[in-house]
Amino acid sequence: MAETTGPAADVLPGSDMNAPLLEVEDLRVEFAVRGRRIPAVRGVNFALEQGKTLAVVGESGSGKSVTSQAIMGILDSPPGFVTGGEVRLRGVDLLQQDEETRRTVRGNHIAIVFQDALSALNPVWSVGFQLGELYRVHRGAGRRAAEQKAIELLDQVGIPDAKNRVGHYPHQFSGGMRQRVMIAMALALDPEVLIADEPTTALDVTVQAQIMRLLRRIQDERNMGLILITHDLGVVADVADDVAVMYAGQIVERANIHDVFARPAHPYTKALLRAIPRVDAVGRELEVIPGLPPNPAALPSGCPFHPRCRAADPERCGDEEPPDRQAAEGHLARCHFAEEVYRDER
Amino acid sequence: MGRYVIRRLLQALLTLFITLFLLHYLTALSVQIRGNPALLFFGGERTPDPAMLAQIERLYGLDNTCFDRPGDPCLGPFVERLQNYAAGDFGTTLNGNRDVGELLTIYIPNTLRLFIFSTITLVTLAMVLGTWAARRRGGLIDHSVRGATILIDSVPVFLILLAYVYILAVPLTNWARDIWGAESFMGQVFRPNYNPDYPWTTIIIPGIIVGTVGLATLTRLVRASQLENLGSDFVRTAKAKGLKTGRITVVHVVRNSMIPIVTGVGYTFAFALSGAVLTEGIMGIPGMGRMIFQAVQRQETNLIIVGLTVTAVVVILVTLVVDLLYAVLDPRIRYD
Ligand SMILES: Nc1ncnc2c1ncn2[C@@H]1O[C@H](COP(=O)(O)OP(=O)(O)OP(=O)(O)O)[C@@H](O)[C@H]1O
Ligand code: SF4
Ligand SMILES: [Mg+2]
Repeated sequence: MAETTGPAADVLPGSDMNAPLLEVEDLRVEFAVRGRRIPAVRGVNFALEQGKTLAVVGESGSGKSVTSQAIMGILDSPPGFVTGGEVRLRGVDLLQQDEETRRTVRGNHIAIVFQDALSALNPVWSVGFQLGELYRVHRGAGRRAAEQKAIELLDQVGIPDAKNRVGHYPHQFSGGMRQRVMIAMALALDPEVLIADEPTTALDVTVQAQIMRLLRRIQDERNMGLILITHDLGVVADVADDVAVMYAGQIVERANIHDVFARPAHPYTKALLRAIPRVDAVGRELEVIPGLPPNPAALPSGCPFHPRCRAADPERCGDEEPPDRQAAEGHLARCHFAEEVYRDER
Repeated sequence: MGRYVIRRLLQALLTLFITLFLLHYLTALSVQIRGNPALLFFGGERTPDPAMLAQIERLYGLDNTCFDRPGDPCLGPFVERLQNYAAGDFGTTLNGNRDVGELLTIYIPNTLRLFIFSTITLVTLAMVLGTWAARRRGGLIDHSVRGATILIDSVPVFLILLAYVYILAVPLTNWARDIWGAESFMGQVFRPNYNPDYPWTTIIIPGIIVGTVGLATLTRLVRASQLENLGSDFVRTAKAKGLKTGRITVVHVVRNSMIPIVTGVGYTFAFALSGAVLTEGIMGIPGMGRMIFQAVQRQETNLIIVGLTVTAVVVILVTLVVDLLYAVLDPRIRYD
């Protein structure tokens, strides 16, 4: 395990080890674009426990990346601003901390893996330098020790011949190997929370499976909390514990993964499930959700999903914004008819 | 890396050869079309004694019959000239019969000094101002930097020079001499003209003034390339790693922005020669710029060719250095 080589900023001041690992409450993010405020995240709630995996699923533009960047505190600001809510790590609201504290949280407590490792790694520095940088900056390690650590990490994420590869540059690695480097970088300081923002979208299918297995293995080994962002429900089926489905900047359904697959309580989730290719339904036509994801600058009135919803009630859904409803124990859905949808009556 | 360097070196040699040949061919054409420059030696109107004319033609390498045939590339004299250059023989001036090789040993170092100071000024100012503007984009500082650099850059360099020479230089020099004495660094640095006893000190101010040529362009280039990197995914990664803003700027933004900036500096270096002509003229610096200018005025064909050859060599060398720096700065080129 990546134990520290020096003073560790490992305990967040004021944190309570009995509090939940990560809780996000009513998180709101807006973008200031040409004098207008565009809501990208509109009151997101979820909790993540140690050793658990939460899958965040949703179409492009639903606010998944913005949510994760707001949690990390790395939104491009301007134009992005967190306008409300709390992000509590072991009970400490990160949004209330000064920049210096937030900086030490990054990498040490919460780390992130981005989608496109080729652009997320700096092309002019060797991967060894970029990995070692974390130990040099956060742990005061020397060049030698940092490189040694980098080699260990590369080895842990399954990069063959790590000793020689450590001096190579990002463009000299294949896509899958680059993503492993990204993962190694996120693991370097042994964070409690790992966010993986579409870690396999840029990869081909066999490599995707390898990367998912790797993520799963290291999460097991380190007992981390993992937030797995994806737009493909199929990918997370055998990895995630819980699922949060995002639509138009909100979480529209949140439940245990088995419940979501077996008994979705939101028409949007149902539609997503029908869009997954299945082995037991060869020949059946895949359904595509009609229409386009809404433009955050011009959200539909009432339920933001109503123009595309099969189950919509023409009067109610267009006027009245649905609240979070409990379809079953621990199964929330933001739909007027959550219970009916859950019972498959609508 | 090795193959890249060798390829670039061969390219540079080829470019140099082609440039030299074109230079030769154009001058040969001008002799063929406009008439024998050796006649100038005898001052225009008079018809010289054929024996003397032949002697002069031999002296200046014009005794080849190819110069009587318009369009003839005159390869014989070209090869001869290359051989002479290789042997360190650059001929003599028509005016005063001085050895051109000797003149070059004085002129080239002076112009190089001028370029060293101007490049340092330009790069330092553009890097600092561009970085500053990029970090405060859209703000007051950003706009002020843009306005100020455009203002400085749009005043012709000879106006700045004249203003300096006629307004500032004398009072500053007197003031500095009163305090530090005439023979001190400070007593010399503000002089309005070149002093051969202080070849470095008295070129600092002209160098700084030439360094403002292209400032606005290079500052904007620095700003633009840094903004591009600031918004890049790897800077987001660097933030996610919990690095401090200062380290992100230096290690992940400035370093990556160096690649386009090196190109920009290479270009301005090539342009700085026109600044050198003016500066060396106004401040009385015996350098390459002044030499070429005077050579053109006095129709010194040989001197013009030598001057342009040196210029071509410099531009090609700078381009070569830029290409090699690319490889140093960007591993994607190094490990092509
Ligand atoms: N820099 C920005 N400026 C303005 N608006 C932005 C910016 N970044 C994101 N947004 C807004 O936030 C919304 C959500 O973007 P986000 O990147 O979180 O989507 P996503 O769910 O991650 O989608 P994808 O699957 O494509 O990654 C976008 O629709 C966009 O309107
Ligand atoms: S509230 Fe209405 S429109 Fe929205 S998801 Fe439920 S049924 Fe569909
Ligand atoms: Mg995204």
